[in-house]
Amino acid sequence: MDTAIDIILKFVAITVAFVVVLLVVAYTVLAERRVLGFIQGRLGPNRVGYGGVLQPFADLLKFILKEDIVPDKSTRFIYFLAPVIATMAALMTMIVYPFGPEIRIPFTSISIPLVIAHFDVGLLYVLGITSIGVYGIMLAGWSSNNKYSLMGGLRSSAQMISYELALGLSLIGVIMLAGTLDLAQIVDQQSGWHGARWNIIYQPLGFVVYLIAAIAETNRVPFDLPEAETELVAGFHTEYSAMKFALFFLAEYINMFTVSMLATTLFWGGWNVPIIDLFLDRGSFLFGLISALGFLFKVCVFLFVYIWLRGTLPRFRFDQLMSFGWKILLPLALLNIFITASAIYFFL
Amino acid sequence: MLALLFILFAGMAIGCALAVVAQRNPLYSAISLIGVFVSLACLYVMLAAPFIAAVQVIVYAGAIMVLVVFVIMLLNVEQEERRRNRLKFLVPAAVVLAAVLIAEVAFMLQSVANPTPAVSNIGLTGSIGAQLFTRYLLPFEITSILLLMAIVGAMTLARRGGLLSSEARLVPGAQQLPLSMVDPRATPDDLTLVETDSSEEAARLLGVDPRNTERD
Repeated sequence: MDTAIDIILKFVAITVAFVVVLLVVAYTVLAERRVLGFIQGRLGPNRVGYGGVLQPFADLLKFILKEDIVPDKSTRFIYFLAPVIATMAALMTMIVYPFGPEIRIPFTSISIPLVIAHFDVGLLYVLGITSIGVYGIMLAGWSSNNKYSLMGGLRSSAQMISYELALGLSLIGVIMLAGTLDLAQIVDQQSGWHGARWNIIYQPLGFVVYLIAAIAETNRVPFDLPEAETELVAGFHTEYSAMKFALFFLAEYINMFTVSMLATTLFWGGWNVPIIDLFLDRGSFLFGLISALGFLFKVCVFLFVYIWLRGTLPRFRFDQLMSFGWKILLPLALLNIFITASAIYFFL
Repeated sequence: MLALLFILFAGMAIGCALAVVAQRNPLYSAISLIGVFVSLACLYVMLAAPFIAAVQVIVYAGAIMVLVVFVIMLLNVEQEERRRNRLKFLVPAAVVLAAVLIAEVAFMLQSVANPTPAVSNIGLTGSIGAQLFTRYLLPFEITSILLLMAIVGAMTLARRGGLLSSEARLVPGAQQLPLSMVDPRATPDDLTLVETDSSEEAARLLGVDPRNTERD
């Protein structure tokens, strides 16, 4: 009986997390269009609802109502499978992130943790699921039977394999300091001292390498070679329309959200907010709420950085991309591991 | 509950494994193989070995199979599908070998009547790390040297005779491939053929240093 209740509670928690994530993602799209508009000296969508707040729902309606075109000579099964893999892989990482500390529901003594699953190898789980996500793009490019799609798919897989290495290695410094792969424990270790124990202070090089590799992993500007519209029309999703296109779009934004959450969790203290533990009791409702909002705020700052970069930087050339990943980022990540290991050996 | 999950993932693993062999299209086989790896990872999680499960997904499903799919995408898949099966004469041998394997498994299951409960911490990150760097340090280091040799060997083979001139900016993934290679379903009319008398002239047309075109 207990397990049944447990399973139902987990389902509820997963649903809540998904709804929150999808809402944030929907408004990230809106924020991207408004911020890009601001950077480019124009307005952006501001007509649907007050200042455009209902635009995401209008977009969704449009995606659903548009004609869904399947190319005649595509490989149908894989053509349908690809967006499913991309979206599913993006959503599946959501369950291991600690969104906040334990939170006590007001007027009761029930405490619920704001993390869906404690997983001994949470970090490796995230990396594993992310590496599955590349199949969505590759298979989409192959099954569309379109040369632009295929080139986009090939580029993306080459790019993701190359930058996955630097991404994984840049996190090893944090793992060495924490001594665990459990994300909740890594966040717990960063609490206290009002932000002076956040890993960013001890791992600045690791953070820079992570941030660059993460942007490349999510195929965003300046590393958006897989969908370089000046060369490849729209890259791997050229032949996709209506809701299937929307799924790729969704997957890209969820991936942005995921890597931002990982950066926050590993380098910027997760849900820890400085100062507030002077005034509030750990475990009180308000403490939990402010911590969770602090987490969301930090993630949103990263999302803003993404949009900012998109409005600012031009695109890399493909050979520049490859040599940057292999000849600069990878050695820097290794150097970071070496420095961290030496510091631990001599000073701790 | 655990038994139900075991049946689900074991069934998935066996179904996908059958599909790997049964499919004529190599890409479908590769996708089925990814399915096998993922179901195996789920089984590892159920056996309290989360680290092995994560590595299974990251290394096999996430890295090796990506390269396999990458290569298959560049091959002429449809031709392979249409060609008739030339290895039919090997079917009896396969049946015999499968029978031997099943007999072996049956013998194992029978001889271990009362299996001792597995050591529960064998697949955790800490225990694997401790074992690798103490008891199995020498095999671990030898394996890494072996891998390094393989990388160096691959680099040497790939660069032999095929060095590109400094002007030709050809990089993996960005080469200009003939359309028939990229897309098996394209009509051959899309290609414009240029006939040359010698490989030197071909190299000159392609913008590659002619001194480096000779293999070996």
